[in-house]
Amino acid sequence: MTGTDRAAGVGVGAGAAAMAFLAAVTLTLGAAAGPAGTEQAAVARLKAVEIPRPSGEADEAVLGRPLALALDENNLFVADAQDCAVKVFSRQGRFLRAFGRKGKGPGELSFPSGVAVAGRTVIVADKLNSRIQAFDREGSPAGAFPTPFLPDRVYALADDVILVTANPGGKRKGEPLLHIFDAAGRQRWEGLAASSSGDPVYDAFRNMILVCPAGGGEFQVVHRSGDRTALRFASTGALLGRIVVDGRYRSRPLDLPFKGRKKRLLGFCWAAAFDRGLLYLSAPAPVDGKDLGPGREISVIDGKGRLLATIDLGRAVHRFIVEGDRIFAVDDGGELRIFEVVR
Amino acid sequence: MKKLAVLALAGLALASVTLTFSMAPDVNPQSLCNRNHVECREYVFSLDDPWYKVMVLLTACDIAFGKCMLGL
Repeated sequence: MTGTDRAAGVGVGAGAAAMAFLAAVTLTLGAAAGPAGTEQAAVARLKAVEIPRPSGEADEAVLGRPLALALDENNLFVADAQDCAVKVFSRQGRFLRAFGRKGKGPGELSFPSGVAVAGRTVIVADKLNSRIQAFDREGSPAGAFPTPFLPDRVYALADDVILVTANPGGKRKGEPLLHIFDAAGRQRWEGLAASSSGDPVYDAFRNMILVCPAGGGEFQVVHRSGDRTALRFASTGALLGRIVVDGRYRSRPLDLPFKGRKKRLLGFCWAAAFDRGLLYLSAPAPVDGKDLGPGREISVIDGKGRLLATIDLGRAVHRFIVEGDRIFAVDDGGELRIFEVVR
Repeated sequence: MKKLAVLALAGLALASVTLTFSMAPDVNPQSLCNRNHVECREYVFSLDDPWYKVMVLLTACDIAFGKCMLGL
């Protein structure tokens, strides 16, 4: 197993737990569907309990603006844009160390917005330095390559295949949202053109994407608003398929006054993760009446787009990753939370 | 709805003032405005705020970009 597999959420230790979780969901659904096996099976309603984290930690453990999470076999890595650092926690949530500091030199970061684990290397989207920077697991700098755009999120699809996302600047049409590089920084592919309607603010929402490594070098892309679909890509950038998500998945419309007149956005997904063949989506939830913010419920979607289960976290989360029955999340207050799904 | 609109307008006005880009005299103004505009948008995206607020802040970035390009 490669480190990439682990970053994508395929760890050895949690494998049995994950299979048990998947089996439990399937069994629950089977029972709910009844003997006739109706076309739309009932949706299992699961809860997650929070696992308490160690208290009384150092100030360094406090997350300023955690933008991305990645797992290896032992640790959880968090890209903290405000502190210009990657913070490392145990899987139980104990703070271990941090690396990186503000600057432009080797090992220094400016607004790190993405982190991933590739083999023995931790790679970081060093956004305002326009580069991808590599570190060893202890945090020593291990090389970098420049990007011709501000990198947003970074994912290791394989040890030598790095996927980087970009937010479009909104000034020209068809900017690619996805870029694939090799470990030396040579671009292998770019694609998924940003949509453009001439309204840069509306377009900004329409072009917000979430990427989930899906194992075997593949990855899934979900638009945060608009389509009710998940796109599946190969590590070469080839589009492999498109999943239309079950109509019972609760997306929410939002009318916003772009350029003076209202346009309707379909709030589809606030955060997403992929683990062992299942897509985990959290739909936006109403905030202060008519706005949309992060939700507290995660929906479990299978490879055919069917809604299998919902998981109530009990608190809103901005981003999360899933491994087996564990959910590692950043909540509305920027705190790291670890949940275990109970059946 | 009226309260929300007032809040949005207030936020827009405040943000357009606070987000006005600084400009060093020895740098190409257009490229600096572009760079600041991109960074402004990236900052807003990173907030991951509710979408009405994001809309207001992105609009503020665009207003600040316009002011920067006009040298105001």
